[in-house]
Amino acid sequence: MPHIEFASVVNALILGLSIASIWLIAAIGLTIIYGTVGVINMAHGEFIMLGAYTSYMLQSVFGLPFLLCIPASFIVVAAIGVVIERGLIRYLYNRPLDTLLATWGVSLVLMQGVRILFGSDPKYVAVPEIFQSNVEFGFVNLSVLRIFIFGVTATVVAGTVYLFYRTRFGMQVRAVMQNKEMAASFGIDADRVYMTTFAIGAGLAGMAGCLFGVLAIVLPTMGTSYVVQAFLVVVVGGGTLVGSVAASGLTGELQSIFAMVSNDTFARFLLYVLIVVFLRFRPRGLFAVAKARR
Amino acid sequence: MTQNLYHNKTAQWMVYAVFFMCLFAVPTIVSDGFLLNQFATYGVYAMLALSISLCWGFGGILNLGQGIAFGLAAYGMAMTMQMQSQDASNPLPPFMANNSLDHLPFFWEPFWSTGFGIVLALLVPTLFYVIFGSLMFRARVSGPFIAIMTLAMLSALYTLILDMQPYTNGVNGISPPAALQIFGTEIDPYSTKAYWTVVALLLLTTVASKLLTQSKFGLIVQSLRGDPERVRFLGYDVAFYETVIYTVSGLIAAIAGCLWVMLVQYVSPAQLDVNFSITMVIWAGIGGRLSLLGAILGALMIQGGQSYLGDQFLNTWLLLLGGFFILVVRFLPRGLAGLLEKVLGMMAGRQRRGPDPIAPPRIVGAPAK
Amino acid sequence: MGVLEIHNLHKSFGGTHVINDFSLDVTELTLCCLVGPNGAGKTTTMDLITGRQKPSSGKIVLRNDDITGLGEHEIAQRGIGRKFQVPAVFRELSVRQNFEVSYSREVNPFRNMFRRQPAGFKAQLDEVATLTGLKDRLDVEAGVLSHGETQWLEIGMVVMQNPAILLLDEPVAGMTESEIEKTIVFLNQLKKNHTLIVVEHDMSFVREIADVVTVMHMGSFLAQGKLSEIESNPKVREVYLGEPEI
Repeated sequence: MPHIEFASVVNALILGLSIASIWLIAAIGLTIIYGTVGVINMAHGEFIMLGAYTSYMLQSVFGLPFLLCIPASFIVVAAIGVVIERGLIRYLYNRPLDTLLATWGVSLVLMQGVRILFGSDPKYVAVPEIFQSNVEFGFVNLSVLRIFIFGVTATVVAGTVYLFYRTRFGMQVRAVMQNKEMAASFGIDADRVYMTTFAIGAGLAGMAGCLFGVLAIVLPTMGTSYVVQAFLVVVVGGGTLVGSVAASGLTGELQSIFAMVSNDTFARFLLYVLIVVFLRFRPRGLFAVAKARR
Repeated sequence: MTQNLYHNKTAQWMVYAVFFMCLFAVPTIVSDGFLLNQFATYGVYAMLALSISLCWGFGGILNLGQGIAFGLAAYGMAMTMQMQSQDASNPLPPFMANNSLDHLPFFWEPFWSTGFGIVLALLVPTLFYVIFGSLMFRARVSGPFIAIMTLAMLSALYTLILDMQPYTNGVNGISPPAALQIFGTEIDPYSTKAYWTVVALLLLTTVASKLLTQSKFGLIVQSLRGDPERVRFLGYDVAFYETVIYTVSGLIAAIAGCLWVMLVQYVSPAQLDVNFSITMVIWAGIGGRLSLLGAILGALMIQGGQSYLGDQFLNTWLLLLGGFFILVVRFLPRGLAGLLEKVLGMMAGRQRRGPDPIAPPRIVGAPAK
Repeated sequence: MGVLEIHNLHKSFGGTHVINDFSLDVTELTLCCLVGPNGAGKTTTMDLITGRQKPSSGKIVLRNDDITGLGEHEIAQRGIGRKFQVPAVFRELSVRQNFEVSYSREVNPFRNMFRRQPAGFKAQLDEVATLTGLKDRLDVEAGVLSHGETQWLEIGMVVMQNPAILLLDEPVAGMTESEIEKTIVFLNQLKKNHTLIVVEHDMSFVREIADVVTVMHMGSFLAQGKLSEIESNPKVREVYLGEPEI
């Protein structure tokens, strides 16, 4: 029955897009932080988790509507990001492996801190009725929530691209990325650029957390389940925004197609193995620049 | 040539000797089987910390996926021990029957033989490291990217083992019903025999690692930690060296995996959990990644501390551990062993300061303790 | 016949020709200085010889052995040693250990596990340590050396490799006058039994050491000869001074 085959392929492709948008929004903050500051932020998953808890708190304690929780968790987690950057990360900029480890320490502290404060039982973020329904496009059935997440991701990507390529701040960021000393001699405060970028990256993770809080349950350990995928998106993409968009699209679709012929976990295994093989041939990712040495 | 005591090779070997004599003497004081078993598992953790120190401390390869070797070997050992309890009339481990398998899967067959099973338990992870390592290192994947790739690989294996429920019993894992039978005797996990087996293998792997770091090979590995490209231009095949040190470290972790199952008669995907592998890095990081003994002591202190604080303080303990780890990374990148190095260096410096107004340049010898 | 022969070397990056039909022949036991304005392609040529970059076309022959397209470590094993422009030594290791690593007769990792002090190492260490003036600094951590000492250490490391030819990229960059003078003595001693290519644009330094000078311009061979010949060469004057001779 070729018609059904076709339908299931289209279904898988659309589901792949949805997976891609989830991975992308999880990875975009990480991409910005890695691409600009060069920090592999192992606490990224916990930033996501903090975003989810922020939304939960704002909603259940202050009764904030869900749509307002999204920007609110951005702000709260961005503020936490600033504290961590000022208090720790900025001392480690020249030691990439150490930042990786230190941020893992941060992740442990955040996870345990939340566990002590909120306990290990799951929390839920409620969403407006409309998000709980499904829509049908011909033979494709999609939940409104997933479409909404796709929309948010697209907006965030557009906003980030605008910020980094069309504004004065973005120009400063790119100047600092290319040559810190040179940028400094033109009066650009690299320290400030790093701090702001880190805050934006953290904030975006918080925002992703708000969405994931609806998609799944809110737990102190929830960050871990997103962080590996987010890292792979960054690695495959090579640390650029365009790279991450392409990488999440590619991996999301592959995951969805593999899952169609096997199951979710095996699909993930296959995907990870493929990524390792891919990196054998493009160790610096899809879009990367080679470094010069004199 | 005056040397700081920390870098004195004779002093280092003496500290090793004293440390291992203490370990071997433990059963003369402790007779409680349960406690001995617990100490022996610390020995296994120490071996893992040793393997991390070798790979990360000396080779600069931050391996966040050491659970791959540990876990694969642990599964191999558990399969071996499980098959010791099966026979021709009853070839299927109970969990397989519960998962409605009607015959033993082909990859379980070799584990009928204890010797062959243990060889496989060590060989499979080692081969995995050779293949995965040469893929990564030939591609010149470096620095933090290695950390992420090892992490991703670990996470992939974790999901795979979790998913293959009928063959691995999924999340419940495998619990061989009886103690390991080997060379015609049974190794009761709560006996001094089991304890001594672990300490003897820890001694063996530590001495081998120590000799390795003191060899020319060790020197080359330490150079490529600083600047792999420079080493390449000296004529060495850097990827080959990286693969070798990565694999040696994996083999040690695999030995640890076998011993662990021997001691606890249990394995589950938790042994391949990302957090466990990162914990190994924390042991080595806090103890001192550039010191084999420092890493070992790091594992003993942290795991010891964790179990004596008890479960009700576990969350607070992990919080403090995270905080302490951050401080170590920030202020003591060479860990507690590095602190000792500094203190001994200052003491040596003070003794010499009399006639010499300018502080003498720092002397380095073997970087390990 | 030369130790190192470069035939019609080309290198382009997406249409831009960085090296254009460059040929060079280096004679045994000479010191050849490679000079040229910035962007002439000197460092790229070094990269191509040592395998850091692969040539688009052309051939590099070391003592009748075609080394074009081989990996860095294979080229190094066949006898090309390179000092980088920005000195690259192992800062965490002692000077002695730096020399020991560079003594790379045996490159197999397994054989190196069972070998501590290779035979012949001691004699060569003594010789190189004396030559570089680092004899009293052997047990010092390389990271604490002065800039000049670091440069000498790296040159010494290249000598320890016992290569057929040494490539030195700007060996006196950032050195003080007295350090440069010491380096001149050192290089003149070295060229008695070694073949060298030195990239440099300090002409007063070149005058002191060069047997032959090769001038590169825009990725191509411009002129070669003794320094006096080069200095009176109209094409070279044009490139350097920008005044066309009429």
